[in-house]
Amino acid sequence: MAKVTDIVLWDKPGERVLLLGNHAIARGALEANIAVFAAYPGTPSSELTDTMAAVAEKAGVYVEYSTNEKVAFETALSAAWSGLRAMTAMKHVGLNVAADSFMTVSYMGVEGGFVVMVADDPSMWSSQNEQDTRIYAKFAQVPVLEPSSPHEAKEMTKYAFELSEKFKQMVILRTTTRISHARGDVVLGELPEEIKLGKRKFGKFEKNPERFVDIPAFQRKKHSWVLETIEKIREELSRCQFNWIEGEEKAKVGIIASGLAYSYVKEALSWLGVDDVKILKLGTPFPVPYALLERFFDGLERVLIVEELEPVVEEQVKVWAFDNGIRIPIHGKDHVPRVLEMTTRRAVTAIAKFLGLKTPIDFESIDERYEKVSAIVPPRPPSLCPACPHRNTFYAIRKAAGSKAIFPSDIGCYTLGVLPPLRTVDTTIAMGGSIGVAHGLDVALNGVPGEKETSEKKKIIVATIGDSTFFHTGLPALANAIYNRSNVVIVVLDNLVTAMTGDQPNPGTGDTPHGPGKRILIEDVARALGADFVEVVDPYDIKATYDAMKRAIEVEGVSVVVARRVCALHHVGQMRKRGEKWPIYIVNEDKCTGCKICINAYGCPAIYWDAGKKKAQVNPLMCWGCGGCAQVCPFGAFEVMGDGEP
Amino acid sequence: MREYNVVITGVGGQGILTAANLLGWAALQAGYKVRVGEVHGMSQRFGSVIAYVRFGEDVYGAMVPEGKADVILAFEPVEALRYINYLREGGLVIANSNPIPPVQVSMGLATYPSMEEIKRIIEEDFKGRLITLDAEKLALEAGNVITTNVVLIGALTQTPGFPLSAEHVKEVIRLSVPRKAVDVNMKAFELGVKAAKELLGL
Repeated sequence: MAKVTDIVLWDKPGERVLLLGNHAIARGALEANIAVFAAYPGTPSSELTDTMAAVAEKAGVYVEYSTNEKVAFETALSAAWSGLRAMTAMKHVGLNVAADSFMTVSYMGVEGGFVVMVADDPSMWSSQNEQDTRIYAKFAQVPVLEPSSPHEAKEMTKYAFELSEKFKQMVILRTTTRISHARGDVVLGELPEEIKLGKRKFGKFEKNPERFVDIPAFQRKKHSWVLETIEKIREELSRCQFNWIEGEEKAKVGIIASGLAYSYVKEALSWLGVDDVKILKLGTPFPVPYALLERFFDGLERVLIVEELEPVVEEQVKVWAFDNGIRIPIHGKDHVPRVLEMTTRRAVTAIAKFLGLKTPIDFESIDERYEKVSAIVPPRPPSLCPACPHRNTFYAIRKAAGSKAIFPSDIGCYTLGVLPPLRTVDTTIAMGGSIGVAHGLDVALNGVPGEKETSEKKKIIVATIGDSTFFHTGLPALANAIYNRSNVVIVVLDNLVTAMTGDQPNPGTGDTPHGPGKRILIEDVARALGADFVEVVDPYDIKATYDAMKRAIEVEGVSVVVARRVCALHHVGQMRKRGEKWPIYIVNEDKCTGCKICINAYGCPAIYWDAGKKKAQVNPLMCWGCGGCAQVCPFGAFEVMGDGEP
Repeated sequence: MREYNVVITGVGGQGILTAANLLGWAALQAGYKVRVGEVHGMSQRFGSVIAYVRFGEDVYGAMVPEGKADVILAFEPVEALRYINYLREGGLVIANSNPIPPVQVSMGLATYPSMEEIKRIIEEDFKGRLITLDAEKLALEAGNVITTNVVLIGALTQTPGFPLSAEHVKEVIRLSVPRKAVDVNMKAFELGVKAAKELLGL
C-alpha cells in the first residue's frame, strides 16, 4: 500500500493499483498532461484537488485552492482559453456557485481542453441536496461523461480533454460519491514527458473580443454554434469507447444503464442469473448518441432505463423514440427510484420487476427483521470532535445570547451545532448564507435604523460562519449587512483550515500548494468593510469568549467576533506526527455531583455518563486535552490525569 | 471466486477507512478485482461509519448489498447491530467488545442494548455467528492502542473461508506502516489472529 501521492506519479505503465475514484481522476489528468488546476474543496470531490495540490510542484502543474467555485472555474478556464489543458473540480452544489460563468462560457468555447469535474452526492452523505449535474449539462448544452468504475474515471478524464479540444467546448466529468469515494483496481497509463520532468507549461492568449467578450451583439451569433456543436458531439459519441452494446444480440428486452448504474446492472443480472438481455452501456448521458439507440432498439420489444437520480437519459430516449415512431414500452423512473442513491438491491429489484422474476433473496424479510433492530440501536450521528473549538464557541454564544436568540449558521463541520445539546444552529442554506439570513431576519423581525418605524421588541441574532466559508461567499453578504445597517452579531469560527473537507488551506491560513501565499486576516477585512465592532477571541477560554459575545451583542450595528483556534482534529494529527503529547482529563468522582452540565449542555463526545455510579466519565482514548470540560464544570470535577498520547 | 464481501463498521476516528484500504490492497495484490466503498466528510466526525471491501469476478459496485456480507468486522459492538441487515445467513460477526456510548445515550435520550441482546439478534434473528474480543486491550498489549484496527484485521483473517491468507495480509500491513511501527503492528496482528483462533475453536 504505497502513498497515493507517489502512485499518481509512478512511471509504471500497466501497473495495477488500488485507487480511490478521485485519485484515479488525478492520475488521468496527469496522464493527459494537464497544466492548470483550480478548485474549491467540497465533498465528495476534495481528494482530487488535494492529490493535485500534493504533486503540483513535482509534476510542474499549477494548482490552486481558489476561494470559491466560480473563481476556480474562471481561473482554470483562462488557462484553457490560453491553449492549455485545464481542470476545475467541485461538488454538485459548487456548480451553482460557478453557474453564472459556466452557463455563458458554453457560448464561447475553449482552446485547450477544459474539464469541469463535478461530484454529485446522491443520498446526501455530506450535502444539502442531491441535484443531478447531468441536467446542468443539458441546460448549458455541453457534453457530460459519467464513469462506471474508478478505472474508467481515469480513462474518461483523458478522453474528456481530447473531446474538449476537438470540439472547442468544455466537458463535464460527473461522478457520484460511489465513484469518487470508491476504491477500485486501476491500470496506470503513460505519463507525458513534461509531467515526468515537472516542466511547467505556459499558454498563449490570442485576443478575440468577438469570442471572449459576451456583449449581446457577439453572443447572439454564438448560441447557434452551441447547438450545432452539441449535435456534432452527439454524432462523435456514437463511436466513443465508453458507450457500447453488449449481451444477447437477438434479445427481446433491453436495459440502458448510465454511468455507475451499469455496474449495478451487471451485478444484478449476474445475481439474477439472467443473460438473455441486451445492454446499452452509456458513459455519456448527455447527449445520448442517437446512432447507438437505433442499433440498440432494433428487435427489442421492451426497454428499461436504469440511472441514478433524475430521468436524464430516459427523457432523451423517450423523445427520440417518439420522434422515430417507436412505440414499444420504455420504463425508467416507474421502476427505479428517483430519490437517494442507486444500489445493487435497487437495480436487482427493478430488473426483477421488469422481467417478472423474484429477487434472489427476500429483501423484505431482512427489512422486517431489521425494523426491530433499528428501534433499539441508539442513534450515533456525526458530532463535533473532542476539543473542537466550535463547541466552546457555541456554548459561549448560547449562554451570552440566551436560547430565545436566533442563530443562522452555515456550511461546515459547525453545522453539527444543530444537534443536542448545543442546538445553536437555527438555519442553514448554502455557503455564505448565514450572513444574508441574519440580515434578513433583522429586517423582518426588528427593522433597521433610518426606517420610519422599527419593532419595539428586539430579537438578538447571532450568525456563525467558518473561516473558509467567510472567504467563499460570506464577504459580499457582510458588505451588504454593513451597508444596509443591520444589527447582528457575526461570529467567524476561524479554525485556520477548511476542516470538513480535509484540512485544506484558505486565505486565512495563507499557505498554497506552491509555498506561502499572502495571508488575509478576517478581523482586518471586517474592519476595512466598516463593521461596528471587531474582536478576536480564543474559544479555548470560554469565559473570555462569553464576555466578547456579551460586548458584541450590546453594540448597535454589525459586530464581528473572530473565534480563532486551530481545528482540533488537524492539531492532534500534527501532534501525533511530531510525537507530542497532550493532557488527558479525568473525572474526580468525589467532586462530580452528577449534575450532567458537561453532558447535557456541553456534550463533548469523550465524556459519557456512568449510569451505575451516577457520575460523568472521560474516555481517555478520545480526550484531546482542550480542558473545556474543566471550565464548564461548576464543581471543578475535571482534572488532568497526566499527559500522554493515549 | 465470484465474490467475497466484508463490511467494516465502527465509529468515525477508529481507523476503519485505513483498515478497508489495507484489505483492499491485500486483495488486489492477491490478484482479485477489488472494490472498496467508503464515505468521507461530514459522515466521519465521530458518527457511525460503514465501509465495504469486496473482491472477486462478480464485484462491480462498491457497496455490499443487504444480506450478502460474508463477514462483518465491527470496531464497536452496537455498530455491528446497526448494520446487521448486511450479513448473509451463516455469516460471521467479529466485534470489538468495548462500547463507545453515543452522546444521546449519556444524555438519557436513548439506551445502549446489552451484549446479550446484541448476540441474540445476530444469532437468532439474523442466523449469524458472533465472536467478540477486547481489541483495545490486545492493541495495548502489542504496544499502542492505535493498532486496534490491525488486531481486528488479524482476527478477520481467521474467518472460516476467508480467501486471503493471514501471512499475505500481514505482509501487506508490514509494507504499509511506518518502519518504526512495524513491530508493534505485527504483534497486534498476531494477537488478533490468536484471539480469533481461540474464539472460533481453531
